[in-house]
Amino acid sequence: MTKRFSYSALVWRRTLAGVGVTLSLAWLALLIFAAVFAPFLANSMPLLMLSQGELSAPVLSYLSVEDVVLLGAALLAGVLVMIKRPMAQRFWLWLAGCVMIVIVANVLVKPPALVIYDDFRSPPFSTAEWRLMPPIPYAPTDYLRDLNSKGLDAPFASQGHWHVMGTEENGADVLSRMIHACRISLSIGLIASGIALVIGVIIGGLMGYFSGVIDMLGMRLLEIFEDIPTLFLLLTFVAFFGRSLYMMMVIIGVTGWTGYARFVRSEFLKLRKQDYVQAAIAAGLPLPSILFRHMLPNGIAPLLVAVSFGVAGAILAEATLSFLGLGVVDAPSWGQMLDQAVKSSRFNWWMAVFPGGAIFFTVFAYNLIGEAFRDAIDPKLANDSEA
Amino acid sequence: MLTYLLRRVLLMLPTLLGITVVVFTVMAMSPGGISAQSLIGGMDMKPQEKQALLDYYNKRYGLDQPAPMQYLRWLNNVSPVGFINNERGEREFSFTKGMDLGTSFQYGRPVADILAERIPITLLLNVLTIPVTYLIAILVGVYSAKHRGGSFDVASGIAMLALWSIPTMLAGVLLLGFFANVQYFNWFPTAGISSREALDMPFLPHWNEQGFVRGFLLDRLWHLVLPVLCLSYGSFAALAKLTRTAVLENLSADYARTARAKGVAENDVLWRHVFRNSLLPLITVSAGLLPGLLAGSLIVENIFSINGMGQLAVEAVKGRDRELVLSITWVSGFLTLVGYLIADFCYTLADPRVTYD
Repeated sequence: MTKRFSYSALVWRRTLAGVGVTLSLAWLALLIFAAVFAPFLANSMPLLMLSQGELSAPVLSYLSVEDVVLLGAALLAGVLVMIKRPMAQRFWLWLAGCVMIVIVANVLVKPPALVIYDDFRSPPFSTAEWRLMPPIPYAPTDYLRDLNSKGLDAPFASQGHWHVMGTEENGADVLSRMIHACRISLSIGLIASGIALVIGVIIGGLMGYFSGVIDMLGMRLLEIFEDIPTLFLLLTFVAFFGRSLYMMMVIIGVTGWTGYARFVRSEFLKLRKQDYVQAAIAAGLPLPSILFRHMLPNGIAPLLVAVSFGVAGAILAEATLSFLGLGVVDAPSWGQMLDQAVKSSRFNWWMAVFPGGAIFFTVFAYNLIGEAFRDAIDPKLANDSEA
Repeated sequence: MLTYLLRRVLLMLPTLLGITVVVFTVMAMSPGGISAQSLIGGMDMKPQEKQALLDYYNKRYGLDQPAPMQYLRWLNNVSPVGFINNERGEREFSFTKGMDLGTSFQYGRPVADILAERIPITLLLNVLTIPVTYLIAILVGVYSAKHRGGSFDVASGIAMLALWSIPTMLAGVLLLGFFANVQYFNWFPTAGISSREALDMPFLPHWNEQGFVRGFLLDRLWHLVLPVLCLSYGSFAALAKLTRTAVLENLSADYARTARAKGVAENDVLWRHVFRNSLLPLITVSAGLLPGLLAGSLIVENIFSINGMGQLAVEAVKGRDRELVLSITWVSGFLTLVGYLIADFCYTLADPRVTYD
């Protein structure tokens, strides 16, 4: 007797069948790990230190609000994975938990406003009896002034200290910047496409469900947004509204919803005359319930494919904006590092290859996952492989 | 056919209008918005001079008016028919007033002049890119479909997905860094689309007393190799995958089997029957290619310092140049729409069943 799988389990199994997807997921897991534990992986201050018989963890007192929120969200996700509950319920629990963590962290966490990295290389830190440094002992904005760094050293070329990926023109360690920049790329990719998805699903859903005049008006709106080259629209948005990380997420989300809307619309146009939808309407269910509890789950699989490609697009959009000098200013991001590689007078390959490679692998990973997932839910291909 | 064309052109108008409304709203809603204050904010001037410039901007562009009024005023200036003030100072409706795109804040020159300089450069880049893209995509796609499951098919499948994922800026930076750099291979020029001395050269390459003269044409091509390469690889990767799928689908279609059964040579089956039928999805995609290329040229032009529309767009939004931003947006929207229209006409060429009457 053959073992029976649920549809989602079947799709998962097919998606994971390829080597490419496994590698992609591994790469994304590595990025998530780096993003969550960035302050412990690359920082100028000791993780643990024994000084005058007293054990302290300087890194903890310098954690910023974002660090704490990320750690908390990751911890919560870890706990929720263990709990046996329906997927959707766990997701909402996680989202609610994250909001709580953000509020608590903003109230409680008060890191010192000024961090002088040079201090960590002078007494009393250097004279501690015992200390445990992070694997990369340089913070992303530590310009190593006291180490006489002149900047722009190729990998392993620095005198007296060790930079696996070289240093940028101000003297900061490139690998450390790369690790901290994971956060921007991952968070923008996920949150921006989440925003785009929500807008797209609502507008597309309404268009598909009501059809007629609403559909026609919606399609015109959609065409308007599609006919402006996205990058132009993004540029205009970013240039005229500030450039904070959160603003960028909203902007990339607001400009990227058209694809999802088109998708959901065509799906809902097909579904709206189905018996179960008619039954839901006849039963007098409220509109959101019909749209999102009854219709949406039936069109969600192809939507997830679009999301995977959408995340790749959002990451690319952020990198492009940063590259054009319109990105987040105060934190390192891969696109901005790539921009630095062009701006300096000489061509320094390590400044282009590493951040550029990171963008490439991340986008590639999301595209591979999207592709595998699309093949997995395609009934035409499925029959070939299962037979 | 003519009525169809006319209808399509008329349908463009609301879309173009919508595009400018969206962009104008973005600019007007932004903190600070477009005001004379924000334009001269950074300048170092005496108070009187500042006031004078402020008044000048306000008077010239109506920047002190409410945003909807500003938009209508701009729209009236841009549209080929609209209200003008006649000699007696009265407002009257005119059908012959012509388009006035306004004057750029940043450059102090008419926007139309600036665009007339920049658009041909961007179009040149794109017009060169599209045939390159299609040629490679079709060759790779057809070959891998013909040898389905072979090593070339598998390798090209992965390579195309990888190429598709390479961000344009990474490719541009690496190409520029390695192939146009004295540190490595100095094979190509670093910036611009022609060298200064090429402007005095005759058009075609030839030999003279000093030896080989590359001429204007060859010099231009030499400058365009890297940008076109950079602009084309992403689209040909996507197109090659599409070609492969389409050709595969048609190779196993009934009509292909019939053609083989009646003894048509395999090559003829492929190129005369299957390929023509596989063209349709390629044409559909070509409509979406143009906006993608315009966005791509924005990055490529910035990397290779080409003075095209893309670079202008970045400068315009950075300088909050309202007139320029609005014009660039509607012009690029217009080009996109024209791209869709051309694609629709290509359907009738590729498939005689399609008519628009």
